Formats: sequence, structure tokens, C-alpha cells
Amino acid sequence: MPLATFMKIKSALRLAALDPRALALALEPGMALADARARHPALLAIEANPSAEAKILTDILAWSRRFTPLAALDAPDGIMLDVSGAAHLFGGEEKLQAEIEARFQAQGLTARTALAPTPEAAWALARYGHVLRPLISFLPDGLDERRLARALGPLPLAALRLDTGLVAGLARAGLRRVSDIILRPRAPIAARFGTHLFARLDALLGRTKSAISPRFEAPPYLAERRFAEGIVARDGIEAIILSLAQDLCTLLTRHGEGARHLEASFFRVDGAVKHLDVRTSRALRDPEAMARLFRDRIEALGDAGLEADYGFDVLRLSALAVESKGEDQASLDDTLNSENDLAGLIDRLGARLGVRRVTRLSMQDRHDPDFAVVYVPAASRARPRKCAPRDISSDAEIPALPPRPLRLLLHPELIEAIASVPDGPPLRFRWRRVLHEIAAVEGPERIAPDWWKEAPGFTRDYFRAEDRDGQSFWLFREGLYRETIEPRWFMHGLFA
Amino acid sequence: MIKYIATGYAELAVTTNFSFLRGGSHPEECVGQALELGLKGLGIADRNSLAGVVRAHVVLREKKVNPSAFKLAIGTRLVFCDGTPDMLVYPKNRAAYGRLTSLLTRGNLRAEKGGCLLKREDLLDHASGLQLAVMPGSSFAEEDALCTERHYEGFGPKEEAAFQPVGQDAGLIQSLMPRLREACGGPVWLTAAMTYGTSMRGDLAWCKRLAAEVRAPLLAINDVLMHVAERRPLQDVLTAIRLGLTLDEAGRRLEANAERHLKDAAEMARLFSEVPEAIAETLHFIDGLSFSLDELSGDYPEELREGFATPQEALRAFAYEGAAWRFPHGVPDKVIEAIEHELALVAALDYAAYFLTVHDIMRFARDQGILCQGRGSAANSTLCYCLRITDVDPTRHQLLFERFISVERNEPPDIDVDFEHERRDQVMTYIYERYGRARAALTATVVTYRTRSAMREVGKVFGFSEDVLAALSGAVWGSSSVAVEDKEARRAGLDPTEPRLQKVLALASELTGFPRHLSQHTGGFVITRTRLDEVVPLAHAAMDGRTTIEWNKDDLDALGILKVDILALGMLTCLARGFDLLKRHYGLEYHLANVPAEEKPVYEMISRADTIGVFQIESRAQMSMLPRLKPATFYDLVIEVAIVRPGPIQGDMVHPYLRRRQGLEPVKYPSDALQEVLERTLGVPLFQEQAMKIAIVAADFTPGEADKLRRAMATFKRIGTISTFFTKMVEGMVANGYERDFAERCFKQIEGFGTYGFPESHAASFALLVYVSAWMKCRYPDVFCCALLNAQPMGFYAPAQIVRDAREHGVTVEEADINFSEWNTILVQPRAGVSEGSLHPRHETMRGDMRGVHDLRLGFRQVKGLNEADIACLVARRGAGYDSIRDLWLRTELPQSVLQHLAEADAFRSLGLDRRAALWAVKGLNHAGDKDDLPLLKSLSFKAREPDAGLPPMLLGEHVVEDYRTLSLSLKAHPVSFVRSSLAARKIARTEELAGMASGQRVSVAGLVIVRQRPGSAKGVIFLTMEDETGIANAIIWPKVFEALRPIVMGARFIAITGRLQNEAGVIHVVAERAEDLTPLLNILRQSEEQAFAHPPCRVIGRPSSQKVPKGQENLQTVQTSLFPPEASGDAVKEAAALRRVLPKGRNFH
Repeated sequence: MPLATFMKIKSALRLAALDPRALALALEPGMALADARARHPALLAIEANPSAEAKILTDILAWSRRFTPLAALDAPDGIMLDVSGAAHLFGGEEKLQAEIEARFQAQGLTARTALAPTPEAAWALARYGHVLRPLISFLPDGLDERRLARALGPLPLAALRLDTGLVAGLARAGLRRVSDIILRPRAPIAARFGTHLFARLDALLGRTKSAISPRFEAPPYLAERRFAEGIVARDGIEAIILSLAQDLCTLLTRHGEGARHLEASFFRVDGAVKHLDVRTSRALRDPEAMARLFRDRIEALGDAGLEADYGFDVLRLSALAVESKGEDQASLDDTLNSENDLAGLIDRLGARLGVRRVTRLSMQDRHDPDFAVVYVPAASRARPRKCAPRDISSDAEIPALPPRPLRLLLHPELIEAIASVPDGPPLRFRWRRVLHEIAAVEGPERIAPDWWKEAPGFTRDYFRAEDRDGQSFWLFREGLYRETIEPRWFMHGLFA
Repeated sequence: MIKYIATGYAELAVTTNFSFLRGGSHPEECVGQALELGLKGLGIADRNSLAGVVRAHVVLREKKVNPSAFKLAIGTRLVFCDGTPDMLVYPKNRAAYGRLTSLLTRGNLRAEKGGCLLKREDLLDHASGLQLAVMPGSSFAEEDALCTERHYEGFGPKEEAAFQPVGQDAGLIQSLMPRLREACGGPVWLTAAMTYGTSMRGDLAWCKRLAAEVRAPLLAINDVLMHVAERRPLQDVLTAIRLGLTLDEAGRRLEANAERHLKDAAEMARLFSEVPEAIAETLHFIDGLSFSLDELSGDYPEELREGFATPQEALRAFAYEGAAWRFPHGVPDKVIEAIEHELALVAALDYAAYFLTVHDIMRFARDQGILCQGRGSAANSTLCYCLRITDVDPTRHQLLFERFISVERNEPPDIDVDFEHERRDQVMTYIYERYGRARAALTATVVTYRTRSAMREVGKVFGFSEDVLAALSGAVWGSSSVAVEDKEARRAGLDPTEPRLQKVLALASELTGFPRHLSQHTGGFVITRTRLDEVVPLAHAAMDGRTTIEWNKDDLDALGILKVDILALGMLTCLARGFDLLKRHYGLEYHLANVPAEEKPVYEMISRADTIGVFQIESRAQMSMLPRLKPATFYDLVIEVAIVRPGPIQGDMVHPYLRRRQGLEPVKYPSDALQEVLERTLGVPLFQEQAMKIAIVAADFTPGEADKLRRAMATFKRIGTISTFFTKMVEGMVANGYERDFAERCFKQIEGFGTYGFPESHAASFALLVYVSAWMKCRYPDVFCCALLNAQPMGFYAPAQIVRDAREHGVTVEEADINFSEWNTILVQPRAGVSEGSLHPRHETMRGDMRGVHDLRLGFRQVKGLNEADIACLVARRGAGYDSIRDLWLRTELPQSVLQHLAEADAFRSLGLDRRAALWAVKGLNHAGDKDDLPLLKSLSFKAREPDAGLPPMLLGEHVVEDYRTLSLSLKAHPVSFVRSSLAARKIARTEELAGMASGQRVSVAGLVIVRQRPGSAKGVIFLTMEDETGIANAIIWPKVFEALRPIVMGARFIAITGRLQNEAGVIHVVAERAEDLTPLLNILRQSEEQAFAHPPCRVIGRPSSQKVPKGQENLQTVQTSLFPPEASGDAVKEAAALRRVLPKGRNFH
């Protein structure tokens, strides 16, 4: 089925990206989704997820660092690699390009690559090289300006990375290709369309160093050790992690930040790379704690362990996500520490058992008491805020919590009760073989099931009942007489 | 055990769905259920609104319920913004009702549109005569706060919305009670509800205690949100829609249970067994109310008598005065007779003041030179003709005054008047000035959920993704109210058997027809003698300074309140401009009534379906009917207008009529009795009146019943009485000896009329405009085209087709130019006559009939991106003309962006610049120096000191593309003409050749897609209109073929259709079998330039300079430089996508 993603642009849904099958149907990005559907009802369209796409691109970038440390993100859809000095490791530029393409293909990614003397030329060829006859995706380093111009001249002006309005304006003047402006006097064109495009042109042809040279960035915080021989022993590895963590924490302290997401990379002698990552529930800057987390993590890998085989020659510890963190203060009372202790415990349990398995309870805004609370990962951000300002817009109309027992029975327990029809309170009931005579009662509080769920069940009438001994119960009758002929009674909880 | 004694109960707190997105049932349903349950009364109390009460009132009236057995209380639930608890408020009498409506008006006018902000003081000011019941707690909600006045003044909504919901506050009620009692002059009640909340017994005890303390009787209510418990899902959906949340997110903001539905007396007595007096109190409460909505009727303004003793006398005087003007050679006896008859009826029903009101408005419009005409049933009236309300001469038609006014119906007459659409505002302003804001306001329209919107909203609260929502709404064509069929859902890629989707579809169809909000009617005016805000609450309209009421036209009809529809009609604007041009350029004074009648050439033109731009009969369906019907008289036009409508089509009356008219079938009548009814239409019922008459004559309906039948059809969704009418009519006709088939067809036809009513009188009004516009097109095609262009947007065709049609009729159209054009298209330089050969052969027969001799100069209104003020400045300072772009720039001081738009529209030709040269020059303006220092150098002629950029010349093909982009039409050439040779190679015929081909032949034809149409009555058939350089062709695409061709048919801008030719009496269609998207072919328009001429010219040494190069071609001598060999170019600059955007997309009609 042809596939496309779409996004909302000025309140209209428009196609954002298409797969080859969709492109073959003469659909194109920017087209209204409704129009595309009118033509091809079978089109599978999903909402574009820019953050997920950005994430994939970052992952690709991280992976691409294997070819050169100088790799930069060229959002939204590109990666820029500076391979000068690295190409010979792969047997020359052409071989390197071939290998990059092959590796992407092996991962199921279609990549358009281009290799050229200037970043601008590579950018242009990767995006517009395919329209040339013959197709050009490789221009060797050291090409002189004239030959570069000759090769790139037939490209459309959009290849200069100009905005669409400018390209359209130039086209209206009859200027459509790079060659069209190479050949003409600059002054009249610059007077009308700005000097910007000539700056781009000069960068493309390598006349000037480009002002938009990509920023090749390493992860914000990283510590690395290289070894002459591969390290195999786990003890050794753990010790190295600790020392890396100390380096990292020094860095973090200097910038007043703490790590929320850490990654240890193990580069094996034979070229394989293994990554382990841990996430923390608070900004972390304690080397011991970091090392402990990784120790637990490695432990959790079980027998196979890190598959060290020939050993690792490079170990790298990087902080992938950080947030600012003030100085830790030891307070007079122990509250801060106990909070830290709790967080530390959650992190350690999480590293060992899996973050999702360590949970806490959270209130839900639901009528149905069975679903009034839910388990959420304890490390998740949305912990109950103590003195956070009430968010009026979302809480204003939520009614105050009705009187409920603090804890409910795990499962409501069937009881025998005598009550008047149709919805009178119970007069007496038997629960766990004990007969209770009701002295006072409030109710019924009628809670109907969520009708939009599958198998919603019956309506419940809840009563708060007090027996002669002063014990308070929360019990309910399940089923109205119009829903069932035989309503049943249940005990659901006790009031303290 | 406690014994319940059911003494009777009246529910006084009913929230209907006119408390938008709160109530889960229609007012009609609530009343119906209350009757079913045997309640003694029902109080409709919507939140700060009376919008739904009329509907409840009408149900009771239609069911003829005895008021002593069941009483409908008219009131509201007041919700205050200052923390005061909610109150149920019911007026005891008419005066108190007036105070209630002014109270609500005050709240409405204080808030933004759609909101109502009431304060305690407002109530105390207006409380006299109201019966109040205080509810513990306020339901003023966050979204009510969002429209606070402060927010309106520009404060952020967040701070201002920080209201605290008020819970049960005994202290507040204790302090409030004595003041309320004093203000309303009677007892004040306290309500108690038993709705199975968290502590309902405790709450009841609390209420009881409080009631005793404040000495207020306790009033039992069930605070109803829905008429039956089964509405709970829909009610939850409404809540979620209101909050903008999904059902899961809405959580406890949804009702916990379904108990807030109407309950019978026994059940209420059981619930209130501890306070039985609260149940009895409901009957006391309702006994005190004596107001009925029936007291509101007949409140017409009377100041228009102009010195006559009574409105009736004034009306008589005006009528005879008008008759004398209409019939200068003596008023015929027949007319006098009719006037007397009508006057008597008007007197009997006391409607004279109403006629005077309409007469006054139209007199104002005519004084201002605003073209106007009454439409609808008013054209049945001789009186209206003489008062110049309508222009259809009753002596030439047999019209039924009783359709307009009848004693039996006892409804106010309804006169709709069309005005020029651009000048209607003047008329509306006049009405406000004449009667004042206190007495005139616009009627409301109730915007209801349609299938598409209902499905979207329900899907949203179910948490469906944008994509599924889009697919869901994509499954619905147009804005229908019909449920989605399984087939459509499947086609949209959805599984209709999936339970969640089924729930959504079921709920959506339940939601369809629910009111969503009130909007203003485009032109319905209510005018009263007394203060309008004492009749119905007023609120702000969308436009500043205008107010609207809470009721729509049906509500007003039902209550007998006067209204006038001030409608806008584009064709009147066009005709007004046309008459104006005739006067200015030909010295002819024409208006609607004196255009030469019954001219043969006009009918001949119409019969050839040469009707582009003509009112009503320009649509494809109408045009295919014309050659078969061959109208020859005015009455034929009346039939033509009425016949291509859902009524006759659904009733399958069209073909029998055509066959009889063409003499292929004998004219016979179902019975002698019906001969009189059907004589004019050859025995086939075509008009609404005839269908009703058949019900009367053949099925023994009373006229009143027949009218009820017509109304029931219009509103059949709400009142399910359709089947009883069906049985009565069909069985009645069969019993009287008619064929069952004929009877069923007649019924079907009334069904079609119900929603798209076209009575004969209305058709006659419209037919007049048809004739006048056709006359103008036939006699003065130049004037007609000019007027039509200046009245755009309107009608079926884009300016490109209108211009093309005019050129085919011999009109020369010139391009917009800075030295000649104005904002509007204008007529220029008269010629000696229609020049030889400029007429398209198709229209050759008209040569002798045409009298237009002017050329047209396109106006700048045709250019995208320009505004009228800038052009006014350009025209005002033009003087003897602009001699350069710089001259224009300096004298007009227009911003460069405006000059750029002008250049892009190729408007500098008179300076010898084409669009590329002009654009280059405009862009260079700033470069030569600042505007400030230029005046000094103004007199110097500037020599461009900059080097020549040597731009490539723009070729014709690209000019055409650019013309389409900036003007959406091109006078230079038709895009298709550029590819004719490759079309010929594909054996694709010109559209003009089709006329000469035999029916049944296979043929291919290609053109730009102009219109795609899928009429609701044609069962999924697509009609596609395309245009090439020789004319227009129509294709029919059957649903099965369409499914296969869908991407091409919907996506192509330039399409080729292959199929069998169908030629039926000159109506030509191609029945599509195959289609091809030829849009890429048009790339040739740009490609030629891209291939060869991108390079600047090089001075070639050695070429003799004396060699003459044709002017404008200098740049063409390009020489390839060695740098870029030609083979390297490839197809680098594909602009197919851009081209697709430029060419017309084709209009889609349903």
C-alpha cells in the first residue's frame, strides 16, 4: 500500500513525505491530504512525527561517527560528514562512498549520498544531482573552479539552498540554473535579489569558505580511554567505568549540570560496538552512583555479559541528556537526603529490574473506583508535586474527591445482603461469614460503567454503611433491575 | 413500607440541546417523553436562553394537547457570573416575560458573541412577576468565563478564568432569599434533586433544613439533561466535545450515571418519599404561570401609514397608485378584481402593516438605485406587483394568491427580497436607522451538526487520530445529513464492523441534527412595533453594531412574528451594472420591468444552450435540458427553472414532460379533476403548488393538511410523521381511482420539494431574471460580459470562461494595462459594428441580433493581489498617461510590491515592456537611489548605468502560464493550443469537432478541467466539463469507471477522455471509458525556453551590425559558450508541480 506522512500546515493537512510507491502515483509533498485521498483512497497516511524523525536522524548521525568523528546534523533530512583525512582508511573517497551507501542499504535505508570538494556542492549534489544527465554524485577533491562550475552549472538554483520565493522570483526573470547566474554580470542581479545568492554560489564553487559550514559537534559530555590491548576482564571494565565517571562528573560539575541519560560504549578490537545506556530519575553527578548503575546493568545482562571476546580497545562514557543541577546541600534535617536516597533506590532497582518495573501509584480522574489509581514507573517525571501551583485550566471542573475508603479490597468480595427493591440500602448483610446489622446508611451513589469500553459491565450502586458495632463499610449492588434480573452485592472496602 | 401517593408531577428543570453541548435531547423529544410519562407539565429551562422553547411549544400545538392536562412552562435557568447560585425562572405573564427577555438581552450584550454574563443586580432589576426557584450551587463554568467582558477587552484569559466553582453555600442563599422575595413580589422556591450523587440523602436533608430556615417551599426537580436514560452515551459525548477532551480524558467531568432523565410521577414520589410536599409543590408552581408564547404574535410596526387613518387605507392608496403606474393605459378589470380580493384578505388577517413595511424598504432601495426584486411566494400576488415588490406580471400568469396568504394557514406572509449583493448593507443600515436597534434585529439560524461534522467530533472524543478522522469525513460527499454507508466507510479504508467504529457511526448519526450554536441569518429581519428585546432575547451579531435574536425563521413563523428577508443576489448586481452601462454607453434606460419582452432571438439563443453567465440556466444540467425543451415563451423559462430541481427529478417527472413536449407521447390527464391543475404543464406535475393541489383534489387532503405535509417533509428528521402522510396520500389517491405508481411518484416529488422547494411563483421571479440576463447577453454581449466580470465572484463559471464566451460572440477584450485600465472592467471605443469573422461559427446565426459595439478593457480587479484603493490612486493620478515605470512610481508613490503585482500581470505593455522586462525594472527601482532624492532628478532621463543582464526573452507559452497565475485567464493563447500537434498525433479531436460526429462513435477529446460535478440526484455519476482552444466538451463518468479513473479525474488539470459520443438533440456528451492525465504535456509551455535560451547573448564579432533583427527578437541570437555544453543540461528544472498549481484546479460542485 502506498504510504505517506502528513502534517498540519495552516489548518490544512498536507503530505509531508512519501514512499516510492506513493511517489509513483504522482503524489507529491505539499499536496493537501484530502486531494490525495480523493485520487487514491487506498493511500495509507499517517501523521508525521517530527520529533521521532529527528531522533532517527540523530541515531543515524551517531552511527555515522564510525566513518569520521566530524559528523554533523543537517536537519531535517541530512547528515554532513567531513571525510578529509579519513577517506584513505577506507581505500579512498569512492570506496568510502560506496561503503556508506552499502551499509545504509543493509539497514534498509535509502540514502542519497554525494561527495564533493565543498560542503555546499555535496549538499547540492545529494539533493539535485539525480536530475543531471548523466547523474553526478561524486566530484573528486582538488577539482579546479572552472571544472567545478562546469559540473554544477546545470543544477537548478534551488540547489544553492535558497528559499522557494527567491527561486520563483529568479525563474520569473528567466534565471533557473546555477549556470544562468554564473554567466551574468553580478551587479544587476545582486541589486534585485540580494547578494546572498552569490555568497552561496561562491561557497558552492569553493571560492570562499562558507558561512554556513556545518557545526561538527560531539556529545555534550564524554570521557574516553584507549588501550593498546583489548580488555576482557569485567572487574577491569568496571574500574575503568568508575574512573570515566569521575572524569565525566568533573565536567558536569564545572557546568553545573547533572546527567539524566548515560551511555557507555564498548568498542571491540574487531570493530563491533556495544552500547549500554541507563536513565536516571534525577540529575545525577555522583561517580559512585553512575558506576553502580552500570554495574547493575552489566549484571542484568546475565551470562553472555558484554561478549568481550577479543577485548575492548576503547571505552567511552557519555552523558546523552543532562539538565542543570544546583549544588547538593546537606540540610540540617534529613529530608533532602531521604529524597535522594529514595531516588537512588529507584535508580538502582530500575537498573537491575528494568525501569518500568519499579512503580508507584498515581490518581486517575475516573468515576470507576477500580480504576481510580494506576501504577506508573516510579522514575517517571510526573511525580506528585508538593507545592506546585494548581493548574487551573485542567483541574477547575474536576469535582472534589468523594468520600471513599483509603484502600479498597483487591477484588470486591461477594456478600449476601437483604435490601428493598429497586435500589434501597441493605438492611443486613453477611460478609466473611459474619452477619452485620446496618445502623446508618448513605446512598446509593450510582456509578455507571464506561459505556465506550469493551464489555463495560453493569451499573453499581454504592452505599456507605455503618453497622451496630460502629464499623463502616463501602459496599455496592451490581446491576440495576433494567440491566439484570439478579443483582449481586459486593464488599469493596472499609473505612478506617 | 412507605406508601407513595402519586399526585402528579411537573418537571421544571429541563436542559435541552439548546443549552449547546450540554443537553442530550431535542426539546421536541422532551415534550414527547413528558406526555408519554403522563407528567402534568414541563418547564424548559435552558442556560440563559430561550432558543429552544418555540419548538417545544409547536409540538404541543401540533399534538393539540389540552393545556389543562399538560402545561408547558416557558423559562430559563439563569446562570450568573458573580457566584450567585443558578435559578429556575418562569414568567407569570406577558409583562414578566418581557422583563425576562430584557434581562437575558442585558447579559448577552455584556458578553462576547455566544456568551451571556449575568449578575445578581440584573435579576433584581427585572424580577417582578417572575417565579424563582433557587438551586443550590452555580454551574457557571470555565468556558463561560472565557467570554468575560474583561477577556473581551484584551486581558489574558488565564488570569480572568480563575473563578471558583460555587458549591452549596447556605449562608449565601439565606442572605439572598429575602431580597429575591421582595424583588419578584411572591414566594421563592428552593430546589432539591435526587440524582444518585455521592451523598444524595445527606444533600436532601441539607436542602430540607435550609428550606425551613429561609422559609422557602422545597421544589422537587430531577435536573434533566436527557429525555430517556439511553441518551447517556450521547450526553457524555457532548460533554467531551464541549471540553475538547476525549472520553477518557474527561474522566469525572462526565456524569457518573444516567439518572438525569425524565421520570414519571411515581418514581419521583418514591425518590422524594421523605419530603412528599416537594413533589406537590411542582404543581403549585406551574399553576401560577399563565404566559403562553401565543401572546407574542401580530406586533407589526405601524408608523408607515403616512397620514392615512389606518394601515389598510394606506395600503389601498399605494396599491392603486402603483397599479396606475404599472398599467399606464388603464388598469384592467381583472387586476382591479384581484387587488380587491387580496386587499380584503389582508384586511381580514390584519397584515396591512407588514406590506407597508416591505413597500417602504423597497422604495428606499429604489430611491438609492439599488436593484431589487421580491422572490418566493410573493410573486403570486397582484398586490405585490402593484406595490413594486415583485416584477412578475400577474396578468400574464395564473398565480395562486392563496399560496402566499391563506386564512386557513394563519401564518404571517413571508416576503423575501433580493438586493444587489454589494449594496445590501445599505438596505440593512437603513432598516436599523428607521426602526432603531430596539425594534429591529436579524433572525438567527441554528447551526446543526451535519454528518461530516458529527462524525469528526464524535471520532475526536473517541480519540481517533487526525488521519482516521480525515478518512471518516472523506467518506461523506458534500454536507449531507445522510448516514455513512458501509461501502463508503470501506472505501475510506475503515472497517465498518469494528465495534468502536460502529459506536462512532451510531452516535454520529444520533448527533446529526443537533444544534451546535446560533448564527445570524444572512438577511432575515424581525421588526416589531414595541421593543423587540421584550419579545425575544437579543445578542451581538458577528458584525459590529448589529444584533440578532435567538429564534430562527421557523420559530418566528410558528409564533406569527413578522420578518422580512433581505437577501443578496449576485445576478442583481450584474444586471444593475449592465443597466448602468447601457445608459452610459448606449443611452438606453432599462430596468427589470421594461426590458423588451418575449424577443425571439433571445429564446433562440437560449434554445441553443448558449447560456454561459445567464442566471440559473448556465449549469451543465440546465444547459443539457435547453435544446430539448426549446423554450419559446416566458412560461417555458418558468418551467425550465423549476424542472431541473430535485423535486421533479426525484419524482421522475422530467422525462414524461419532455416526451410530451416533443410530441412523442400524448398529453393525457389522470382524471378530469386534475386536468385543471396540470393543464399548464402538459399533465405532469412540476411545481410545488401542483403537488399540493393533487393531494387536495385526488387524495382528499384539506388545504391545511397539504401545507402541513409540505412542512413535514422539510423537517422530517424531527417529527416522524412522514409514513402516515404517505399512507394517507397514496391510499387516498388509489381509493379515488388513480394509479399507485403515479401516486407514489407524486409523493416522492413532494418529498424532494420539502428540502428544495421551488414553487411556481418563485420560479416565475427567477425566470424573469433569466430572461433579462439572457436578453442582455443576446443583444449586448459586451455589456453583459463587462457587468458579469465586475460582479464576480458569482455563478457557475470562472472569468476565463466568461471572457472566452464573450470573445466568441465577437467582443474584443483587451488586457489590463496601467495606462488604460481601471479597477473594474470597462467598455471602450465603439466600433462600427460586429466585425467580419470575429464571431465564432457556432454563433453565426446571432449576427443580425447583436447590437453591442464596444470593446472591453479588463480591470485590475481581475489581477490577484491588488486592492481597490491602490488602483484608485493609480487611475486618479494617471492624467495623460504614464511614460515609464519610474514615472508611475514617483507620481503614485505606490509601494514596490504593488508595482510588482502589476508587472507580473503584464500590465506595462503600453510602455513597450513585457512582464519580464517590467518586473526587472520594478525590482531595480530601489537600486538606482532613494526615493527621497529622486524628485530632483525627475526631469532628467535616466540612463541605466548598470550592465545589461541579458535576460532570456519570455516565450508565449510561459506568458500564458504566467497569465493564468496572475489573472487566472489568458488573452494571448489557450494553453491547449501549444500541444495541439502532439494531441493530433494521439488522434485526439478538437472539442468543436464533436458536433459533427455521429452518435455512438468512439472519440478522444482533451481539455483543461473546468468543473467536476457529482449531483446528489445522479447516483454517483460524475459530470466533467473540459475546455480546449476551440470550445467546451462534457464527459459523463459512470461510478464504476470513475473508481478506476479516480486519480486521473480528480487530479488532472489537463485531461484526455476517450469514450462513446452521445448526441441527443444537440446535447453532446462523451461517455468516458478511459482517461489520461495530460498535465505533463503542458510542460512544453516552459521547456522550450529552459532548453535553449538560458544563456546571455554574446556579441558575435564579425556579424554585420546592419543586419536587421526583428524587434523583440534581438536576444534570440544566443551562442553557446564553451563553458556549458548543451548536452549537460538534462531536464534539470522540472516545474510540473508549479504548473499544476498555476492551471485551474477545476471547481467541484455537488
